[in-house]
Amino acid sequence: MSERSNGRSAYTLTLGHLYPDQLNLYGDRGNILTLQRRCEMRGIELRVVGLGIGDALAPDEYDLLFIGGGQDKEQAPVAQDLLEMKGIGLWAAVEDDMPVLAVCGGYQLLAHYYRPASGADMRGLGIFDAWTIHKGAHMPRCIGNIAINWNGATLVGFENHGGRTYLGRIKPLGKVLKGHGNNNEDRTEGAVYRHAYGTYLHGSLLPKNPHFADHLLTLALKRKYGLNGQEVAAVFPLDDALEWEAHAFMLERLGLHSAAGAALRYP
Amino acid sequence: MPEDQPAQSVRRERRKRRGKKGAAVMRAVPATALPRASDSKRPARLRRGSLRAGMAVAGGRAAGALSRRLRLGGGTGIAGVVAQRLYPDIVHHLSTQLAGGSILVTGTNGKTTTSGFIAAILSDAGLRVWRNREGSNLMRGIAGALVIRARLSGNLRRGGQATSIFEVDEAVVPQIMRDVPLRIAVFNNLFRDQLDRYGEVDSVLTRWQQAITTLPHQTALALNADDPAVAELGAAYAGQVVYYGIDDTTFDLGWRGTISERHQTVDTRICPRCGSDLEYTARFFSHLGHYNCSNCGNRRPAPQVRATNISMNAFDQLRMNVLTPTHEGEIVIPLPGFYNVYNALAAIATAQALQIDWAAVVSGIQQFKPAFGRGERVQVAGRTLRILLAKNPTGFNEVLRTLFSDDEPRHLLLMLNDNIADRRDVSWIWDVDFERITNHTTTLTVTGTRALELALRLKYAGVAPETIDIIPVIPLRVSQLKNNGSIRTAGTPVRANGELTAMREAQTQADKAWHARGHRVTGLARALDTAIESTPPGETLFVVPTYTGLLDTHRELERRGLTPHYWEEKGP
Repeated sequence: MSERSNGRSAYTLTLGHLYPDQLNLYGDRGNILTLQRRCEMRGIELRVVGLGIGDALAPDEYDLLFIGGGQDKEQAPVAQDLLEMKGIGLWAAVEDDMPVLAVCGGYQLLAHYYRPASGADMRGLGIFDAWTIHKGAHMPRCIGNIAINWNGATLVGFENHGGRTYLGRIKPLGKVLKGHGNNNEDRTEGAVYRHAYGTYLHGSLLPKNPHFADHLLTLALKRKYGLNGQEVAAVFPLDDALEWEAHAFMLERLGLHSAAGAALRYP
Repeated sequence: MPEDQPAQSVRRERRKRRGKKGAAVMRAVPATALPRASDSKRPARLRRGSLRAGMAVAGGRAAGALSRRLRLGGGTGIAGVVAQRLYPDIVHHLSTQLAGGSILVTGTNGKTTTSGFIAAILSDAGLRVWRNREGSNLMRGIAGALVIRARLSGNLRRGGQATSIFEVDEAVVPQIMRDVPLRIAVFNNLFRDQLDRYGEVDSVLTRWQQAITTLPHQTALALNADDPAVAELGAAYAGQVVYYGIDDTTFDLGWRGTISERHQTVDTRICPRCGSDLEYTARFFSHLGHYNCSNCGNRRPAPQVRATNISMNAFDQLRMNVLTPTHEGEIVIPLPGFYNVYNALAAIATAQALQIDWAAVVSGIQQFKPAFGRGERVQVAGRTLRILLAKNPTGFNEVLRTLFSDDEPRHLLLMLNDNIADRRDVSWIWDVDFERITNHTTTLTVTGTRALELALRLKYAGVAPETIDIIPVIPLRVSQLKNNGSIRTAGTPVRANGELTAMREAQTQADKAWHARGHRVTGLARALDTAIESTPPGETLFVVPTYTGLLDTHRELERRGLTPHYWEEKGP
């Protein structure tokens, strides 16, 4: 368990980082760092607590949860630990509207199951009504830059997954504008259940999607402090010029610059 | 590589068929010849083999010559592609004639420098040396490099007498091991690199393990004892294994490193044998160090070639004491970067296996001249440019550690591209410890196709955005180039003059269109100028590019008449 804090603040949040040593393949440090720095710049104290294999998850101790992606070899012991040590706590947290961000492998582990090309299914927590199938080496991996429409705004990132994810009765995070998304078939990307968000976008996701980072912080702050129903960006505005420039640069790369002006909610 | 796979399956097919017929020997093999790769009963039919090989050599060399004539590039890659198309077995055919023996050098980082050290040591020992320096380290580049030194008879020129050093991409190792009879295979390290190209670290290790089972036991392995994945390769190997490693634990990150260093991305932190967590009593960087597994008892093998008493006297003076079973002595590595200790040890272990004279080992390393992008100096407008390639998190961390270990403030130009040869996924920059450069740069310029992403990384590392000169490179889309009448092949070092002009024109148009939409100025040349101008005359500008950034930098310096064409071939 590792902790970091910066002392005296009106607002204090605790982020539970699941399996920081096992699931850290796709620059997930960038997501944690973004939440940390954005809180720091606002005088909000954000404590980050690592939850490794063997640690139990007590939902009352956290305000926000993050789980990233890892190599196949490392994902199997994690899947078992997730079911045995953290499953009930994570379920309770999600039902209690705690914001959760699950990226890549973490997203797959929070759905019903992952079916590899050969071998037994890997059971997940079933928080997302979704399942993932790896159809074998003949199916190309979904790799590349991706942009999606998330509630009228854009999210940009990079995806790299062999498995195809299919959604049951659950909303996707967004609609694919450019890229593959969940399965390269139905143009959906990610999944949302209550305040739990699953997505294939990394790169890292949060640094150049500051509106999404702030959305997660807003959910956590509202849940804990009410925040008078306001968005964190309105209460504590930040200069995000560089973040939005990086975001827009990727939209341009994907040939979406005309769409960008319409879809983007610049602060 | 995908493009090589059809050739492989053809080759396997053919081998199966010929194997049944069996036969005589293809060519009189000198007594000193080495074991053949996978199949010692390999077929022959001298005339047909040589005729096909001759055709392949002729075709490949013609294509290469044409490519050079048109100034499309060094022509090595195209020569290899054409020759392999004409005779898929060409690499095996030619490499079995390498009477001086062949050495394979692979690993995620340090291949070029390690091969350079080995070549220098062997030359100083009076041996003739040949390297696949001109071509890429993929299969076609290696094929091309061999074809270029072959006769139209399908046999190698007298270069066949040289000791050959093959610098080989991690993914190509199984193909080389199948086709080239090896005296020594050097595995230096395995880090997280190019995941979107190769899959994951584990799958590379599995492929290496499988390839090693096909080796004849006369082949020696030189393995880095401090890398648990690499060391595991020696566990079940019946032939000679020479381990090398660092015994000096004063460079242990646990004691000396910053907090963020201790949180550094670790690529292989689980035991490659049983899957449990490894424990480290010392860790030098990433997952390299002194490790043991409490579950299965797997531990770092005791190295036969080891470094003690390492010290960094000056920016590019690494002093170490080296112990081998036969010698002990001090060696000064004239390069910046702690990681070069491993590159030098790999070369010393190779020399040990070849029973090379100690004096040649010392002079080969101490007189070493770095390759382009590995720390060499270029003088520009009264400033010194030092270019340090950083292509993955471990490489980048080590370059930053080298530059910022003393409190000297630096002038820095960082270059992040996301072309295929770099890795299209740049998320790895979030695993690099940029925190250590905060407040340690005098001037800081950021460029490349993902300059903004890198600037953002620096902002979140605590660097004030207003202190960064951000000058992105607009990546050209294929459509823009087609309109323009030129074709782009990413990562190709040099293009025809006409094509270069067309590309520059396309780039100018892309930049204009970008500015017309109200964005900031762009372009590598401008970034280089800005960084040079902000560095006062007499001082040093450190340029840290990713792989294609290095090629772009080279091209830009060459355009200004500042470096030689680096594909130029040196006769064997």
